[in-house]
Parts: sequence; structure tokens; C-alpha cells
Amino acid sequence: MKKIAVSFKLNGQQVDTLVEPRELLIHTLREQLMQTGSHIGCETSHCGACTVDFNGDSVKSCTLLTVQAEGAEVLTVEGLAGDDGLHPVQEAFMEEHGLQCGFCTPGMLMRSYRFLQENPNPSEEEIRMEMSGNLCRCTGYQNIVKAVQYASNKLQTTKGDA
Amino acid sequence: MKVELNKVFEINGSVENTWVFLQNISSVASCMPGAEITEQVDDNNYKGKVKANIGPVTMAFNGDIKIIKIDPSKKLLHFIGKGQDTKGTSVAEMDLTAKVCTKKDGKTELVGTAIVNVSGKIANFGGRMMEQVADQILDQFGERFANNIVAMGGDAAAKEAAKILDKQPKELNGLAFAWSIFIGFFKKLFS
Amino acid sequence: MSTTDDNIERENELQGIGCSRKRKEDPRFIQGKGNYVDDIKLSGMLHAEIVRSPYAHARIVSIDKSEALALPGVHAVLTADDLKPLSLHWMPTLAGDVQAVLADEKVHFQMQEVAVVIADDRYIAADGAQLVHVEYEELPALVDPHKAMNSDAPILREDLVGKMDGAHSKRLHDNHIFTWDVGDKDSTDRAFDDADITVKEDMFYQRVHPCPIETCGCVADFDKINSKLTVNVTSQAPHIVRTVVSMLSGIPESKVRVISPDIGGGFGNKVPIYPGYVVAIVASIVLGRPVKWIESRIENLTTTGFARDYHMTGELAADKDGQIKGLRVNVLADHGAFDSCADPTKFPAGMFHICTGSYDIPNAYARVDGVYTNKAPGGVAYRCSFRVTEAVYVIERMMDVLAQKLNIDKAEIRLRNFVKPEQFPYNTALGANLDSGDYHTALNKVLDAVDYKGLLIEQQEKRANGELMGIGIVTFTEIVGAGPTKSCDILGVGMFDSAEIRIHPTGSAIARMGSITQGQGHQTTFAQIIATELGISSEDIQIEEGDTDTAPYGLGTYGSRTTPVAAAATALAARKIKAKASKIAAHLLEVSTDDLEWDIDRFKVRGVPGQEKTMKDIAFAAYNNLPEGMEPGLESIDYYDPPEFTYPFGAYLCVVDICKHTGETTVRRFYALDDCGTRINPMIIEGQIHGGLTEGFAVAMGQELSFDEKGNIQGNSLMDYFLPTMVETPHWETDYTVTPSPHHPLGAKGVAESPHVGSIPAFTAAVVDSFSHLGVTHMNMPHSAFNVWQKCNELGIDQHK
Repeated sequence: MKKIAVSFKLNGQQVDTLVEPRELLIHTLREQLMQTGSHIGCETSHCGACTVDFNGDSVKSCTLLTVQAEGAEVLTVEGLAGDDGLHPVQEAFMEEHGLQCGFCTPGMLMRSYRFLQENPNPSEEEIRMEMSGNLCRCTGYQNIVKAVQYASNKLQTTKGDA
Repeated sequence: MKVELNKVFEINGSVENTWVFLQNISSVASCMPGAEITEQVDDNNYKGKVKANIGPVTMAFNGDIKIIKIDPSKKLLHFIGKGQDTKGTSVAEMDLTAKVCTKKDGKTELVGTAIVNVSGKIANFGGRMMEQVADQILDQFGERFANNIVAMGGDAAAKEAAKILDKQPKELNGLAFAWSIFIGFFKKLFS
Repeated sequence: MSTTDDNIERENELQGIGCSRKRKEDPRFIQGKGNYVDDIKLSGMLHAEIVRSPYAHARIVSIDKSEALALPGVHAVLTADDLKPLSLHWMPTLAGDVQAVLADEKVHFQMQEVAVVIADDRYIAADGAQLVHVEYEELPALVDPHKAMNSDAPILREDLVGKMDGAHSKRLHDNHIFTWDVGDKDSTDRAFDDADITVKEDMFYQRVHPCPIETCGCVADFDKINSKLTVNVTSQAPHIVRTVVSMLSGIPESKVRVISPDIGGGFGNKVPIYPGYVVAIVASIVLGRPVKWIESRIENLTTTGFARDYHMTGELAADKDGQIKGLRVNVLADHGAFDSCADPTKFPAGMFHICTGSYDIPNAYARVDGVYTNKAPGGVAYRCSFRVTEAVYVIERMMDVLAQKLNIDKAEIRLRNFVKPEQFPYNTALGANLDSGDYHTALNKVLDAVDYKGLLIEQQEKRANGELMGIGIVTFTEIVGAGPTKSCDILGVGMFDSAEIRIHPTGSAIARMGSITQGQGHQTTFAQIIATELGISSEDIQIEEGDTDTAPYGLGTYGSRTTPVAAAATALAARKIKAKASKIAAHLLEVSTDDLEWDIDRFKVRGVPGQEKTMKDIAFAAYNNLPEGMEPGLESIDYYDPPEFTYPFGAYLCVVDICKHTGETTVRRFYALDDCGTRINPMIIEGQIHGGLTEGFAVAMGQELSFDEKGNIQGNSLMDYFLPTMVETPHWETDYTVTPSPHHPLGAKGVAESPHVGSIPAFTAAVVDSFSHLGVTHMNMPHSAFNVWQKCNELGIDQHK
């Protein structure tokens, strides 16, 4: 299969890749671009461990072909922290014990990052509904909900640009 | 995973034409969407191909068809078709008996019993859909078969039938198929 | 500052045992810098993809590799024939059986490994796998374990025909694996004959799968130049893997390095050694390049170690006041096509003998018969503590069945039968030696917290109104901490565990254990233990696990054994260091060790304020100012052979409301009280309780892996396999009591399989209790809306009038 050149912005940097048309974005991110923070947990688009931020939307990168990323702006967990430290969602997950094995965590972080911009002051029900695309086996979700609430409070009080 | 289906198709044509058509394995195969005979090994053995997209599973089966019985006196055809999909992950077997009968009112009907056995990926993920899918496949088959018989008639109706057959898609279209199953399911609830 | 304030400040500095300190492993995970097996990319690395059988039972007629080998980028295609010269086409299992690495002449379960394609990348490997053409001759499949021992049953294991001396007992049939029993059958039968009342119930604990979010995999790297094999693998027991790999490959253990890096959830799924690991290792050795094998989710659910599949019949004999006189349990265990059940060698039914539960039962007998079927191998997994899930399920269900028969309240019947506090240590009729417990306090605390009386009144009112509401109570006792080497071994290696600690001159420390975390927070909790023992802040203690080149030999982490065994080793290793430290302190302070007392983080001279040495001072001295004749350095190692198992316990209460028209069950409330003895990090305990309860919810309410009559597995992907999302998952309430273990150095018992063990019967109890006024005594899981609706329909209550 002939390879196609695909260029996009990853965590603020321009990247150039050469991929087969059938290559999934998650594989390009992990294996070509060496950003292994996004994980693979299934092949049926259920688990959400591969969630990234794609042109301002939460997208499961296992269900996107890399060729579809031409010219896109992609943010992965590696790009969340800034010069002044961890992003509030990252701090929140640590403060509220929202992770155990850490495998679903990048997906959870990327989804809560985008979700809190869509809905800065969510109710618990809204958090659970909007993050139902991310599965976890370790935490039982209760502390993840608390983490998202913590992040929501922090983002609103600091009114920082998320 | 086993599914047994009994089907009756009303045929607008003579018993003789129907029986003649039924014995032509290649023609019969062409009535199955996505199917074709690729080789006749001997009098009773053929090789064929079927392509299908069913739910999340895509398959391209390569199979063998073995004629068990052709009985002109009863106008009965019994064959077993067996195949493995090219990726090696699914296997299917169909044991089909078809009989051409005359109804009380003189009309022709094709009576079929199909026992379909599947294993592998199709049984893992298509299991719940099997009966409806097989049902729909046979419905489509029956429609084409019936049109073929009409087309043999040589009259105006035959010309119409021939036109319809020409337009039929060569492959089993998964999406259209799924939609027809969906509609069929709801129709059954309210019938 | 007062002495008390000063003490509190120093204690807080340590962040030791009992502190809900934040986790030390979190920084890398929240920044996407974890190091999981699939993250590893080595120069020249190839990918492996396995070709699998669509049939559950078939002969392999031929395998044509030619088209696959012709595909550019494919380096090798291996089948059993390629492994035969190395005697690696079969491998030993943890249960005394053998398992095919690549199917040799026949396949025994659907999706069994038949060939492996090694290629440049995962896409080419997948293309290659589709080009391997295998011809099969289908054989009749054996799917129903009840038919396994019929005279006309298909024979599965042709390799075992005629071998009637099984690993665990005599084999009664070619498809029979073992018969295991425990207890006094005669006295139990007599107790049943003499009893006022007996009850009996059949129950099926369905086949499920732990399904951690990370699937299994490995990167095998054979370095031809140094003749060293390095395997990064998703393993809960890296040292065992090293020993087995060395035995199978002939490479000495000193030249095999097994690394369990970060693991994305284990839950027992990552204990066995899978064919994928073996073929990747062989391929790496043959090709001289690193080979990565990572399975897909469907492969994971279908072929790796499943859990449960126990067909149980429970019986209780009691007097008319509900005092139990006897327990009898018979089990048919469906082990799949190979017995690879991950139990300690002498326990083919795991710790099933704990099935007398929290109760004082004078006579008991349990028997388990294991059989082969055309399904994937396994049986012990998924937070089961070695079949404790099954044991607790049967006893807790039977308590309810008995309560219903006698019309005694379900909490009351338990209180009447509990082992009393003064009876500990208590030897059960099946040989378990319960170390400590206070079951009455635990249950009463839960009943008060939820206002049990109020719930009962509400239930009466709802029933009068035709509504379904259920209250489920479970009071479980677990047996964990495998285990004393005199009875517990894995492939002959005793189930001790280990810890090695070294203090650096400037007072920080490094420690390594034989356990391996998969999310349990060991990097934090072990540091906390050492902090309290040695007075060094847990912040300054580095914990490492999982690299067999550096970590002392251990049996790994599963079955809640880490706290009972490895943490005990850690405490004892620390105390060895403390003993040496006291001598150094005495030397520095020019007193005798008898004059010293330990105070949080320092040795003080008794009665002489100001005369003290902190552990930090002592550490520096350990390298340059020592008593005459003492060896420099400040380190130790301890291998801990536990004297006994530990017995954590708990009381759980679940309230459900069921819609009788749809069968939909809402978990209104779930109150979980756990007693795991000393609690090292309450935050970490609570987090794992939440997780275990959620996994229990999944099992009870929706998970099952079933098979059709030909052995086609159903529901083996996340399209069907029920993993609860945040939406379905109930809100959990947790509570605790502390009843230390008298024989453990820290008084700790181990925790976090308990929520899974205890919650599953609690959900079932609540669902069944919703219908108990209508005469229902048991309902099999999963309690999906459809299954529960079927009960409503059967009772004629589902229609609107």
C-alpha cells in the first residue's frame, strides 16, 4: 500500500508523517510520533483509553484514520501541562485519587479537559453522562467524579485559560 | 450456531420451468446476492464464492457445494454448501432442500428448508442476528428466483422481470440489508 | 511547641502507616509517562500476530504458510511443528497439566493458537495472519460440563487418554480432571439425617473475565551477543515467569531478565503464562531480534484466563432456631480444555474450604469435581482470592435460603451463627484457622448505619403496594495471604515473599520487593510502612518492583497476598535495620542499647533529654563511624514465610428497587464495611474498594461469557461484555472496623478482593430478596434487565393491569 504524507499539529508542534491510508491515528501517535500516553484498550471503540482532543472535540483516536488528521490540531495528554506546571485536571486526579493503574487516565484527562470547557460547572449526573465513553476497571469512577469536580472548581476560581 | 428456516416462495410460472431452472446450479447461485459459482468439479460438486457484510463482520466465503440428491419425480433438489471465509475466522454450512410443488389452485411454489450452521467470528458477533439475516437472505433469494422464472416466460411480464434482475446489486449490501432487517423486526412486532 | 504538637508534626512529616498520603506513582501517569509493555519500542523490533481456530474442537488437517511467507515484511510463520524440535509445542501449566503453545494436530477451544506470524509491523503481521490457510476437520464439541463424564462424550484430551493418575487425584473418565474434597463426609451426612430442617439450592456462578483495560502482551528480546534474554511482560509474577522460561528454554536464570513494567490492571488476568509470550520468546531467539506480542481485546476475553464457571449445590442442615448443624457443598467445575487454573499446587479448588464462611458450623463437607470442556482454560482470576468468590457465594446464598425457609430475618440468622469474638483463633470444620474477627460488631454497625429496621418497614409498605424492593446482606470472611510454604507452592516454589531495604548515607532509602503492583499503589504503601518502622519520610523512600535482575525473589501480587506476605517481609526487614541502627545509636551516644527508646524517628536515651540520634544521623554513621567489629552499611533483606493465612472480613448491605415491568434494577444504596486489620493508606484502600464493588456489580448484573452448542463463544467483545460506565455504576458508601491479625508483624490482613468477593452475593441477595415474598429462593446471575424481567413474567407480575 502506497504511503501518504500527512501533516498536522501535535501539542502545538508541527509534525510530518508518512502513513498507509488504513493506519489509525492512535498507532501513528504511539509508534511513529512516540507519544505513548494515549493507550489502546479495545478494538471496538468502547473503552476510550485512546481519547485525544482533535480540533476542539474529544475523539477516540482508534476510530480515526491518520489521513483524516491532515491539517488538524491534536492535543494529547503529553501536551496538557504548561510552562507553569500541571493542568488543573491533572492536579485534580492526583488530589482526589482518581487513578490506580493509570491506563485509562490519559483518556479520562483528555475527555475531562474538553468536557469542562463545554460545561464548566457540571452536576454529578452531567459528569457521569458526558464521561461515559471512558471506561475504568480500577477506581469504580467515584473518585474520578470528585476529580472532575475539583478541576471544575479550580478552573473557575483561577479562571485560567484551560 | 444453528438456524433452521422454512420458506415458501410463490412462483409466477410453470412447474416445468421452475424445475429446469432449479437444476441449473449456476443460475440458482446467481439468485443469492453476492454469490457465484466459480467452478464445476464434476456432476455433483461445485466451487463457489459468497461475499457478505453482516453487522460488524465482513466475510468472503470460498466454499464447496455438493449435490446430495436430484429427484426429478419429486422435483426435489438437496445440496450442502460449506465454506470458510478467506480470513479463516468464520465457517458456514448450509443444508438446503428445495422442492417445486403445485398448489391446490394450480399455482407453482418453491418450498425450501434450510439448515444453516455457522462457527467462528460470525457466530460470536452475528449470533443474535443469524435468524433474521438468514431469513432476509432467503427472501432476497426467493425474489430473484421468482423473477428469473417469470423472465423465462417470454412475455411482457418476462421483459419486466428481466429488467428488474439486471438492476439487482451484485453484492449483499450491508447497510441496506441491516435497514431491511430493522424494518422487518418492527413489522413483526405489529403484525 | 509542646511535646504532643512536636510529635504530631514529626508523624506528619513521615507520612507513614495510616496516612492517606497522595500517591508517589501518580506524577508519571497523569503526564502520560507511564511505561506499559506496549509503550516499549526497541530497535529492530518485530510484531507477532496469532492465527486462531474458528472451531472449538477440530483436527488440523493442514497448514499452508506459503502465501503468508511470501508477503513482503513477514519474517517467519511458526506452527507446532516448528516448536517440536525445541519441545516447546506444549508447556506445563500452573495446575499440573500441560497446555498447547501452538495447537498440535488438534484444536481444543475456539480461537486457540494455531500459528504465529512475525512481521515488520502490526499491520503486515495482521495481513500475514489472514494469509495462513488452515484446513480443519470439525469434531463434535463438548460444551456442557454435566455431559463431560457421559460414556458417549467426545474425548477431548487425546494426549491424556489412559493416564488415569491425574495431578491431583485419580481420574474417573477421560474428560475428568480431579476430584477434591475436604471435611468429614460421614459426620456431615449424619448431621443432615438428624437435622430438624434441611435446605438445598443449585446455583451457577457464570463464566466471566477480569478484562483489565490493558490487555496482555510482551516484548521478548534475545541478545545474541550476550546470550541474554530480556522479556518485558504484563505479569503479576515476574520471578515465576523467569523460572519457568529458564526451565522451558534451557537458558540459565542468570541470563534471563523478566521485567513487569507498569501494568494496566491485573485482577488475576496477568498471572498465567500465555502461549503468546512463549512464541514471542521463541521467535526472538530464532530471529535474533526483539519481538512484540500484544493481544486484542477479543483475544483477551476469549483466550486468556477466565474466572468462575462453578456449578454448585449448597445444602444446610439446621435446628428450628436456625442454628446450623451442617454444611454440604458439591461442585462441578468447568476448567476448559487445559487445566491452567492458577492455584497453589496442592489446592485444585483454591481456597474453597472457606465456604463455612463467618459461621460456627460443627460439621461440613465439600467436594469439587473438575472436568474438561471445549473452552479456553483458566478458572481462577478476577479478584477471587483463589475461589473464595465461589465459596462465599455459596454460603451466603444458603444462609438466605435457610432464613427464608425458617422465616427468620436474614441479618438475625447470621448473628445467631457467627463465630463469636471469644472463639478466635477458630478452627473451622474444613480446616481454616480464622485468626481474628468480630463479626457481630461489623454487621451491627452496618445495620445501624443504614437504619435496617426502617428499610424493613419500607419494604413491607412497598410490597403491600405491589412494588419490588430488596435488601441483600452479606457477611463474608475471606482467606488470603497465600501462603505458608509447608502447604502453598507455585510449581514447587514456596509462596513466601521478600523485601530488601537499603538506607543511603544521607538518610534516604531504596527498597525492592518480590511483589508487583498493577495499580494498588505499592510505591506509596511500602514507603509508608518503612517510614513508620524507620522514621524516614515516605517521600524519601524509593520503592521498586518487577525487575527480576534487581528485585529479591517473590511470588508476585494476586489473591490479596501482598500485604499479608510482602508487607510483613518489609516490616521485618526494616526491624532488622532498626536493630543494627540501635547499636549504632548506642555507640554514638556512648550508652548501652538497653538505655535507648525509640520515638517516631529517633532513638532517645531514657531519662536524658536532648540525648538523641535520628535515623538520618545513624545512616551517615553507618558508613563511617561504627562500633568495633561492625560491618559498614545499613541494609537488610527478609524472606517471609507466613505462619498462617489471614482472614479479612466484612459486612455489606445492598438495597435495590426493581421495575417489575422491565426488570430494570436500580441499586439504591450499597454500604460496604471492610475489616482488613491495620490500614496502611485509607485513601488507597477506599479507592480499591470502589473498584472491587464496581467489578462485582458488573459480574452480578450483566457479565457472562456463554457458549452455543458448538462451542462458539458469545459476547466476547466490548460490544456485548458488560463493563459498567460511570452512568450505571452506583454510588458506594464505605466503612471499616479494625481487628488486627495477631500473627502479622503489622496486624494487617490484606484487602481489595473483598469488595468483589462480598458484593457479588450481596447484589444477588438483594435481587432475590425483592421476590422472596413471592416464594423465590434463588436467581442465577447475571441479573440483567432481561433475566429479571423473565422472573417477573414467570410470576405474572410484569403486565399493567
